[in-house]
Amino acid sequence: MILLGIESATDLVGAAVFDKEGAVNECSALGRRRHAETLAPAVAQVLALGGLVPGDLDAVAVDLGPGLFTGLRVGVATAKGLAQGLGIGVIGATSLEILAARALDTGWTDDVVAVVDGRRGEVFAARFRRSPDPGGLVELSPPARLRPEELPGLLTSEGTTTLACGDGALRYRDLLAGIDGVVVAGSTLAAPAPGSLVALAAARLSAGAPTLAPGLVVPCYLREADARINWLRREGPADA
Amino acid sequence: MSDQAPLVLGIETSCDETAAAVVAPGRDVLSSVVASQADVHARFGGVVPELAGRAHLELLVPVIAEALERAGADGHPPVAAVAVTSGPGLMGSLLVGLSHAKALSMAWAVPFVGVNHLEGHLFASLLDHPDLEWPLVVLLVSGGHTMLVLVEGLGRYRLLGQTLDDAAGEAFDKVARFLGLGYPGGPAVDRVAAGGDPTAFAFPRAMAAQGYDFSFSGLKTAVVRAVEREPLASTPDVAASFQEAVVDVLVAKARRAVAATGSRGLCLAGGVAANSLLRARVEAACAEDGVAALVPSRAMCTDNAAMIAAAGQWRLAHGGPSPLDLGADPNLGLALSQATVKQ
Ligand SMILES: [Zn+2]
Repeated sequence: MILLGIESATDLVGAAVFDKEGAVNECSALGRRRHAETLAPAVAQVLALGGLVPGDLDAVAVDLGPGLFTGLRVGVATAKGLAQGLGIGVIGATSLEILAARALDTGWTDDVVAVVDGRRGEVFAARFRRSPDPGGLVELSPPARLRPEELPGLLTSEGTTTLACGDGALRYRDLLAGIDGVVVAGSTLAAPAPGSLVALAAARLSAGAPTLAPGLVVPCYLREADARINWLRREGPADA
Repeated sequence: MSDQAPLVLGIETSCDETAAAVVAPGRDVLSSVVASQADVHARFGGVVPELAGRAHLELLVPVIAEALERAGADGHPPVAAVAVTSGPGLMGSLLVGLSHAKALSMAWAVPFVGVNHLEGHLFASLLDHPDLEWPLVVLLVSGGHTMLVLVEGLGRYRLLGQTLDDAAGEAFDKVARFLGLGYPGGPAVDRVAAGGDPTAFAFPRAMAAQGYDFSFSGLKTAVVRAVEREPLASTPDVAASFQEAVVDVLVAKARRAVAATGSRGLCLAGGVAANSLLRARVEAACAEDGVAALVPSRAMCTDNAAMIAAAGQWRLAHGGPSPLDLGADPNLGLALSQATVKQ
């Protein structure tokens, strides 16, 4: 199985390939709000580095969010376009699952709470635990939109130490650092990475998880659209 | 359709229409699919950018699939190139089409080309009138734009004038909203005005006699004041008088531009070009002045992807493909595309 992963839901933009031997190559950069400019060249490059062409792919994995609205749409549109053009399926994972998978990969054995900065004074977060499930993690609480003050409630759990990771955990580290039983991860676990995405998706596909037709892939926004009417309609909207 | 025919797939997602089309050589439109989001935005009385972005992402796969199927484009690859609007427009909407187009071009190993939406509108008239004689004046009027452009030949444009404030279509939307006529405002005003007296109110014709620039914000204010003064005024009369004022200014300036540039014809483009009064007045004025009136079908006036595919076909032949790191430009101007043309 050869799998391409597309990551563009937060500040980190990139692509990764999971190849026949199970090796993972990844190519990513900080987006600086240049997600569309960065992503397609990263896809082309990671394929070329692996000596692959798009036609070699069996499926496309994509980060469905939550995260930056415009950023995650660039990723999901790219995944849909590749899958539509190649006639293959898409497998999605949330940004929070991808963050947690990376954290557990580092050897952390207790619970993980992944926190993505939702901007506008909000975060997106979910709690995970290591498990024998495909991909190695189980979701203890579903992705939720919270105010940062609500994070301690999600983070503290009797009898276990919890790792808080993601750009949201870093942004609000002062709120979290003093809490008993909570460890805030550093910047290497700030963003969901395409390499973790393909590894997670590959594990799930090998365990029999289905892919979706590209038309059926739905992003995870976790926030309603801001319905301010844009009379100056040709001006770009502010991102989430 | 044979696999060898170099078909171009066009993709348009700059505002609130999700569109895809397949065009064959010679700008022959094989399919043109447009999914309007008007009902998504109707209750807000205007385009909500974030909702537009979300709707494009949901609609694009089925719209492209239908455009390919209707065109019988089933080869490997189904088309020889992908053209996509890269600006101007709503950033979050443009990026959906641009990202999808790049991905399709990688999947099919065919070139992709970014197209200026405004140039697309200019090409729309060519799809309906293949034997144009230059130079031409194009009156491009939509919800986002109001401009007079001198077209000296394909890819050779000179901006004669544009709106200094609201676009003509924006004025229609605002007045329709104020009168409670619904969204989109253009067709609503057009419909209601048909039963009204266009001379009931003498609304201002801003700068009608001088220059080629436009201003519509004062007109909207005048409509509001008139209704405040006469709360019982007939809505059809207000709508008809407003529409008359807009069309008067548009046609007067366009006509003067045609005469001053020695143009062979006047061409209408953009969503507001679907307005019945504007179409009738342009045809009458051109007949009187002895120049060609180029009034594309209503489907070609409003946003569509056939015009993007046609402009892309020409761009590919004259400037080559775009790089994979192309970004979207919400404020892309027509002059920029002129600079890249090989003369
Ligand atoms: Zn337009």
